[in-house]
Amino acid sequence: MKSSSIVGIASALALMTSAAYADSTVRFWYHFDNADNPMDELVATFEAENPGIKIDAENVPWNSYYDQLYTSIVGGNAPDAAMVKLFAQPRLIELGALHPIDDDIANWDGAANIEDGLIDLVKGGDGTQYYLPVQYVALYLYYRADMLAELGLEVPTTCDEFRDVAKALTRDTDGDGQTDVYGFGFRGAKGGHDHWGTFVLGAQDVSLTDGITSEAGVAGTQFVADLFQKDQVFPPSAPNDGFQEIIGAFKAGRTAMTIHHIGSANGMVEALGDKVSAAPVPACGGGSWTAFGDESTAVLSNAEDPEAAFKWISFLSSEGHNTTFNQATGQLPVVKADASNWTMHPERFVEATQASVPAAQLLPSSSATSDFVNTVWPTNMQRVLIGEISAEEMNANIDALFSE
Amino acid sequence: MTTATLDPDISARRSALGRRILPYAMLSPAVLVTLAIVFFPMVQTAWMSLHEYVLFRPNDFNWVGLDNFRAALADEVFWISLKHTAIWMCTTIPAQLLLGLITALLLNQDFWWRPLARALIIIPWALPSVVIALMWTWIYDSNYGVANEFLLRLGVIQQAVPWLANPDTALASIILTLTWQGFPFFAVMILAGLQSIPASYYEAASIDGASAWRQFWHITLPGIAGVMMTAVLLRMIWVANSFDVIFVMTGGGPGYSTHTLPLYAFIKARTNLDFGYGSSIAVLFTIMLMVVVVFYLRRTGKAVD
Repeated sequence: MKSSSIVGIASALALMTSAAYADSTVRFWYHFDNADNPMDELVATFEAENPGIKIDAENVPWNSYYDQLYTSIVGGNAPDAAMVKLFAQPRLIELGALHPIDDDIANWDGAANIEDGLIDLVKGGDGTQYYLPVQYVALYLYYRADMLAELGLEVPTTCDEFRDVAKALTRDTDGDGQTDVYGFGFRGAKGGHDHWGTFVLGAQDVSLTDGITSEAGVAGTQFVADLFQKDQVFPPSAPNDGFQEIIGAFKAGRTAMTIHHIGSANGMVEALGDKVSAAPVPACGGGSWTAFGDESTAVLSNAEDPEAAFKWISFLSSEGHNTTFNQATGQLPVVKADASNWTMHPERFVEATQASVPAAQLLPSSSATSDFVNTVWPTNMQRVLIGEISAEEMNANIDALFSE
Repeated sequence: MTTATLDPDISARRSALGRRILPYAMLSPAVLVTLAIVFFPMVQTAWMSLHEYVLFRPNDFNWVGLDNFRAALADEVFWISLKHTAIWMCTTIPAQLLLGLITALLLNQDFWWRPLARALIIIPWALPSVVIALMWTWIYDSNYGVANEFLLRLGVIQQAVPWLANPDTALASIILTLTWQGFPFFAVMILAGLQSIPASYYEAASIDGASAWRQFWHITLPGIAGVMMTAVLLRMIWVANSFDVIFVMTGGGPGYSTHTLPLYAFIKARTNLDFGYGSSIAVLFTIMLMVVVVFYLRRTGKAVD
């Protein structure tokens, strides 16, 4: 009796101990601007399916997302898994902050359901798989279909056409001597490299790492400067305008064209209805370039339970759940079945995205890319726009950054 | 019972010792906290400034001596930022002081809604910097801002001005914002100083036939000189180090038009993750600020004496 009691207690203790070990908490960082956040719903579903794993999901503000992520990694307090963009991958690899997931993906049934080529596309520069795609977009041109129709204009397909159309759309509509509508809402603050890239990186043999100082590369930057300084088709606030400003100005009818992705389509339609439409960005310098807007998830190397962390990130990229995730971000799902059933955006914006994919490119896989995005591009572009430096100097500064 | 048997000399010595130790014991928690959260990071910053330390290469913490300082002194952006810092301090603090002084003199008068006015005046000071920065960004907005709307209607300007996107107006616009934010501090401090001046001084001056201006010059100003000196010193340090409003309003742009040294150090360290170089800028700025503060204290100390 006595010994059986001891065995019983020991068994109970062993069970409790094993249960305690089975319980893992995955700390996950993400950034959703949308107040209508479905993360709680996703976490509840996941935890119901995986009773041994608890998800501690934290929405970190986008503006300081990478500052906080890098600092948390160096400070030893990084999350177990996080939403990440490709431009950050070289730096995260250099920090030794990423956990390889080649084997996890090889053993994961859901891998076959991801859109073709996407998993390879996000592979690290060292050939190892660290990222798992969770959503994607390709940037395109938003335009005011009603304004183009009113002036009998066609959607521009080349830079020359773009300039003419932007000039025609820049108007004083009420005759008070003030310009009421500007042809194009240019993003001169952080993140505007996507706009500049369309006018510069489409040219043959011009990329951020090669040929940026060539005649064609400099001509592209000069084209942007001329649009602002000579043609005055950007609002005067363009040097400081960020995402909120360009989207706000377009919705308010202050600009007639801008470049962004499908993530803002529903808001545009809500504000403008059928007056807004989209098309691939114009081809400049003989070729087209638009930004591939990627978002993946990754397991970080300090994860206490990498297996549990992978279970969670793969859950976000699996059928049905990927749709829920993308409903918050307004971007496109990476799961084939979810993409084929996608009804969240009006068809014309999905078509514009699909038509833009062939020209969509990624930023270089270099640790200099973060500095390019965060400081070098915005500062130099602003200095060009306000006439402090020339287009040639700007491109030389970018070349110097990537040559280091 | 034990103490009763002690030699009175020993008891007195213990009591004296206790009195000597007590202040240190009382101060030590504050000193320890200050050492931990101020002094230690300062030493760490100085140490980092002598190293090449890029956060995403944490294993490469290489001693470079004064190289970061040499690089900073040869950096065009450092000098642009220093010039802006000088303009920033030399205009913001006098503007806040003047506005604060006028406000304090008004609030020192008798009028029925004076308590309400005193409460209202403190609002800009009580609001968080980020809220103020966002609020003024919208005021200055070239498309929808009330500043442009107001000036257009008055006929002062013919076209909407992109206040924060124009390099000629961006810094001045932020200085105006910070002046608005900081003047209540001066107003409250000076008001306290004004109320400590005995009314009898003014009565005596009136009897002697002193004009209002002479009363202000010979009674009011000397009476609040000490308070003003302290307020200017505190504000000098705060304004010099303040970059949150600039960061939110322009991020230092367009170009480098609103870069100040603390902002440049922050961008280098926090955004570019170059903690070695960012620390060297912070150390250089701290030394410069200390020189200014010591000079100010010596000059104003003499004047107040």
